[in-house]
Amino acid sequence: MTLALTRFKLAAYARSHRLLQPVFALFTMMLIFYSTTVPDGRQLTSYADSAGLLIVVFAWAARGLLDTEPAAQRVVSMTAAGGPGREVRAGLLAALAVNLGLAAIAVALPLLAGFAVLPSSGDLARGAGLHLLGLSAGTALGALTSRPILSSPAASMLVLFGGYLGLLLLSLTPAGGFTVPIMPWMRAASAGTLDAVLLPVTAATLFWSAAGALAYVRLRRTRP
Amino acid sequence: MRLSDVSFRYARRGPWILREVELSLRPGSVVEVTGRNGAGKSTLLRLLAGILPPSRGSIAERPAVVGYAPDVFPVDQPFTVAAYLAHLAGIRRIPPASGTALAERLNATHLLDRPLGDLSKGSAQKVGLIQSLLAPPGLLILDEPFAGLDEQTRNELPVIIGEVAADGGAVVVSDHQNQLRDFPGAGHWLVADGAVTAGDGRRPRRAVIEVTVDAADADEVEQKLRADGHATRRIS
Repeated sequence: MTLALTRFKLAAYARSHRLLQPVFALFTMMLIFYSTTVPDGRQLTSYADSAGLLIVVFAWAARGLLDTEPAAQRVVSMTAAGGPGREVRAGLLAALAVNLGLAAIAVALPLLAGFAVLPSSGDLARGAGLHLLGLSAGTALGALTSRPILSSPAASMLVLFGGYLGLLLLSLTPAGGFTVPIMPWMRAASAGTLDAVLLPVTAATLFWSAAGALAYVRLRRTRP
Repeated sequence: MRLSDVSFRYARRGPWILREVELSLRPGSVVEVTGRNGAGKSTLLRLLAGILPPSRGSIAERPAVVGYAPDVFPVDQPFTVAAYLAHLAGIRRIPPASGTALAERLNATHLLDRPLGDLSKGSAQKVGLIQSLLAPPGLLILDEPFAGLDEQTRNELPVIIGEVAADGGAVVVSDHQNQLRDFPGAGHWLVADGAVTAGDGRRPRRAVIEVTVDAADADEVEQKLRADGHATRRIS
């Protein structure tokens, strides 16, 4: 039931053309990132920047997907799927699936055009891992700014972009270790010390993403 | 199904919408819910359907299969009627063509290839009804189902409700228009001031008053009276 509802949400999202907005944003950012060829040895730095900066695109995509169904349809879907928990899970699953696709493009595109030399398999894995962290944080931020939580589109966009900027700025300060550490992972990748911080960066990002997702699930209890 | 001491509010410090509601709903029973706009009818229906959890109290023995038709069917979706019903059938794990027979019965076969966005209010209501009946419901909840329906469907719906009840399903209908007034054995729940008063098929005493208004104001007055939960009938 949850998977069928996930497919329904993905079909609605694709047919509504809302998917085009984050896809255009993704390709625009890719054009900016890779307008000049990345020299050998800087591939991981590029991946780290891409993963950190694309969080806002992942959030936008998740928000768009979760906003696609009208409120009355969400209620119908809840009863059809056998409970509100399944509808909420299906929404998050669908948002993750879309963001996995966007992240796959972001990781694969520079391999075709962007890198002067293909990265080592280790750097490719690290780059893919950082994009997984980015999409988990972005999906949680997008869910928390979706219509059931923030009904005003203006407030929602403000919180989405403001929240992302806040995360970026906070991660520049000493308190950065206590939030999603976007800047720390960018700096470590640039300095060649990513492996030393990868574990705490992964733990912090997954913790805050899970906390965001749990808050979303909790808030949806009285916001069907 | 039983509601025990159920209270509900949307926010921790928000006003109580329903307080200490005690109700029971037997398999095979049909209940009409009435009350003024904003009294809490839709909230009660959503609590019954399991869409909202009670803030206090508990709801027990809810049937596994719940059918729910909203008061306004959401047409702003990028599907044809057939594709939409096939998706809903998939979610309910039943064959994709399950809606076809229901569409025939509700005279909606010609709608199957139409985009949802092109449907009139009455046609959209039919699609809402069909999706709620795709799987035989143990609990069928219909929020203002008669609004906008054509006469044939308006006459057919009580028959369908009777069949669901005969198969052991409980049916709860929010109904401003009192279309179930002659339904044999139907119970009645009145939602008012945060409480739900159950009457076993007996309606509250009613009085008929005649109001004469300017023809230009008739629509507005009628809408106001209906919004306050009164049944109206235009004589001239």
